[in-house]
Amino acid sequence: MGSVALRNIRKSYGAVEVLHGIDLDIADGEFTVLVGPSGCGKSTLLRSIAGLETISNGEIALDGAVINKLQPKERNIAMVFQNYALYPHMNVAKNMAFSLRLAKQPKDEIDRKVRDAAEILDLAPLLDRYPRQLSGGQRQRVAMGRAIVRDPEVFLFDEPLSNLDAKLRVQMRAEIKELHQRLKTTTIYVTHDQIEAMTMADKIVVMRGGHVEQIGSPLELYDRPASVFVAGFIGSPAMNFLPAAATGGTLVTKSSVSVGKAPAGVDEGRSVIAGFRPEDLRLADSGMPAKVVVVEPTGAETQLMLRMADGDIVFTTRDRISVGPGDTVHLQIEPGKLHCFDAETEAAIRQDAAGQ
Amino acid sequence: MNETPRTLYWLALSLVGLVIAIYILFPIFWLFLASFKTQAELAALPISFWPEAPTLDAYKALFSPTHQKGQLLDWPRLIGNSFFIAISSTILVVFFGTLAGYAFARLHFPGRDLILGGLLISRMFQGAALLLPTYRLMSMIGLQDSPIGLVLLYSAFGLPFATWIIASSLREIPRELEESAMMDGASRLQSMALVVLPLATPALITAAMWHFVGAWSEFAFASILLESNENKTVTIGLASFVELFTLEFQFVGAAATIVALPIMLVFFFGQRYFTRGLLAGAVKG
Ligand SMILES: Nc1ncnc2c1ncn2[C@@H]1O[C@H](COP(=O)(O)OP(=O)(O)OP(=O)(O)O)[C@@H](O)[C@H]1O
Ligand SMILES: [Mg+2]
Repeated sequence: MGSVALRNIRKSYGAVEVLHGIDLDIADGEFTVLVGPSGCGKSTLLRSIAGLETISNGEIALDGAVINKLQPKERNIAMVFQNYALYPHMNVAKNMAFSLRLAKQPKDEIDRKVRDAAEILDLAPLLDRYPRQLSGGQRQRVAMGRAIVRDPEVFLFDEPLSNLDAKLRVQMRAEIKELHQRLKTTTIYVTHDQIEAMTMADKIVVMRGGHVEQIGSPLELYDRPASVFVAGFIGSPAMNFLPAAATGGTLVTKSSVSVGKAPAGVDEGRSVIAGFRPEDLRLADSGMPAKVVVVEPTGAETQLMLRMADGDIVFTTRDRISVGPGDTVHLQIEPGKLHCFDAETEAAIRQDAAGQ
Repeated sequence: MNETPRTLYWLALSLVGLVIAIYILFPIFWLFLASFKTQAELAALPISFWPEAPTLDAYKALFSPTHQKGQLLDWPRLIGNSFFIAISSTILVVFFGTLAGYAFARLHFPGRDLILGGLLISRMFQGAALLLPTYRLMSMIGLQDSPIGLVLLYSAFGLPFATWIIASSLREIPRELEESAMMDGASRLQSMALVVLPLATPALITAAMWHFVGAWSEFAFASILLESNENKTVTIGLASFVELFTLEFQFVGAAATIVALPIMLVFFFGQRYFTRGLLAGAVKG
C-alpha cells in the first residue's frame, strides 16, 4: 500500500515562503504528475515528501501515518534524481544492490532482486559496467533499477528525462509508464513538460508559485481548465485568449468581433477572457476575421498563425487548406468549446464551457 | 596542417624544462653519488663524477651507532622518531581534516565561509614568528622535549590546510549522491563512509602526502623543542652531520639520501591520485 496525503504543506527558506499550503491526496498505485513552470516549487514539494527537506508547517502522511519526523531512510520511499546520482565508484550491480546491502539482506536475496530488476530494465548485460561507461538512457535505467529493487511504497521522480534527447525521452516515457503498469507502485513524477504530464499521468497537479492551481485527470484539465494559467499550460499549441465583454448575449472583443454566445452566468457588460484551443477552430464563410501570417504544414496537420485586430491566434486543422500569407479567413469556434475566464481573477467562469 | 612550428615550440619548451631540472637536481644527484664514494676519492683531484669503486661503507657506518666526534648518532632511532612523528600527525590531520572538511562542505552554520577562508590565511603566517611562543607554550605543558609534543604541534599547523583541501574537494561531490544514499537507507555517517570518502580518496591522499612531507622535513620547531639525543629527528641529525663532517662528505651524502628517500617514495606512489578523475560519470555527461 502506498497512499500519500499532504495537508497544508508550507516550506520557507529563511524569510521566503516557497510552498504556500499544499493539499493533495494520492491514492495507492496512482501515477501523479506535478507540473508547473520553473521555480514553482515542484522539486521542493517532492524533496519534502522524500524527507530531504524539512517542512515548515503541515503534515505528510503515508498510508495514514504521519511521517514528517522520519528520516529519509525510514520512509520506504525511493527517488530517482534528475541527474541520476549514480555512485560513480560502484558498478551497475553494486549501485542497484546498495540499499539492499544497507538493509543487510541475505546475499542470494540481493542477487536475485538485482537480477530481476536488471531483467525488467534490460540491464543484464551491463551489470559489471561503471556509470561512466553508460549512455544517458542506460544511466537513467540504472537509476530506476536502484529504486525498484527496494520495492518501496512510493516512487519519486524529479524530471528524470530532462537530460535525454527528444527521441530517447519519448522512449523512456513509455518505459516508465509500462513499468508503472506492471509494478503498480504509487508514483509522484515531477516535470515541467506538459506533454509528459498528459501522456503519463493518472492525475495531474498543476502548480504555480507555490500553490496548487488545479488537480485533475489529463482530460479534465484539458476540457475544463480552472484558470487562464492551466488553460494556457495544458495543451499544445497553447489555447488562444482574447479579452472580451458580454454584450447583448454574445462575447464581443474590443474591436467588435463576436466570438460566440456568452455562457450563462456571464452578466451583461462583464469583462472576461475568452479562450479557445487552436484545434477547436474551423474555417467558415462568416465569423471572426483573421489575416494569415504564417502557414506551417507538418503533414498530419497544418498550423496557421493568424492576426486579428485583438491579437494573434493559432489555428490547427487536419484539412488540406489552400490559403497563403496575407489572405483573410473567417473562423468559428466549435460549439461548446469556448472557455470563459474572469478578466480580474483569471478563474474559469463555470457554467460548463465544455457543454456537457 | 603544418606541424613544424608546433614541434619546434615543444622542443624548445622541453629543453628549457630540462635545463631547469638539471640545475635543480644536479646538487642533489651529486650528493647522492658522493654517498657511494670513499673519503680518499672525495679528496682526490681531479674530481671524479661517478664513484670509481662504489661502496656502502657510509651507509653501514650510519646504521652502526658509534660515538663520532663526541656525538651519539643513532640513525635508526632518528628515523624511527621521524616516522613516528610524521605518520601520527598525518593520521590525526587527515582524520580531523576529513570531519571538519565535511562539516565545511555540507553543513550550514554561521560564518562558515569566513572561517574556511581564514584557514587558508592562517598558512600565510611565518612559522618563525611562532617559534618562541610555541617553545614557552610547550614547556608550560611539559611537552618541549617530546615527540608527542611535535605530533600535536605539526597536527595543529597542518590541520587548516588539510581541512581546506578536503573541504574543497568534498564540495565538488554532488550533494545528490549523498541524498540518494540516504534515500537508499544510509545514515549520514554511512553515506559519508560509503559514498563520499571513496570519491574523495584523491583529496585525502593529497592532503596526507602534503602533510607527511612537511612533517618529515620540518626542522625549525624540531630543533628548538627537542633537546635529548634520543628524541631527535632526521632533519636535526642531518644538520648536525653537515657541521660534523666537513671533509667526510660521504656521510652527509648517505644521510641526505636516507632522509630524501621516504619523500621520493611518497610522491612516486601518490602521484597518480593527483590526476585521477574518479568523478567522471557521476552526473549527466
Ligand atoms: N536551498 C534553497 N534556498 C533558498 N531558496 C530555494 C532553495 N531551493 C529552492 N529555492 C527556491 O524555491 C523555489 C522553488 O524551487 P524548486 O526547485 O522547488 O522549483 P521547481 O519547480 O522544481 O523548478 P524547476 O522546474 O526549475 O526545477 C524557487 O523560487 C527557488 O529559488
Ligand atoms: Mg526542480
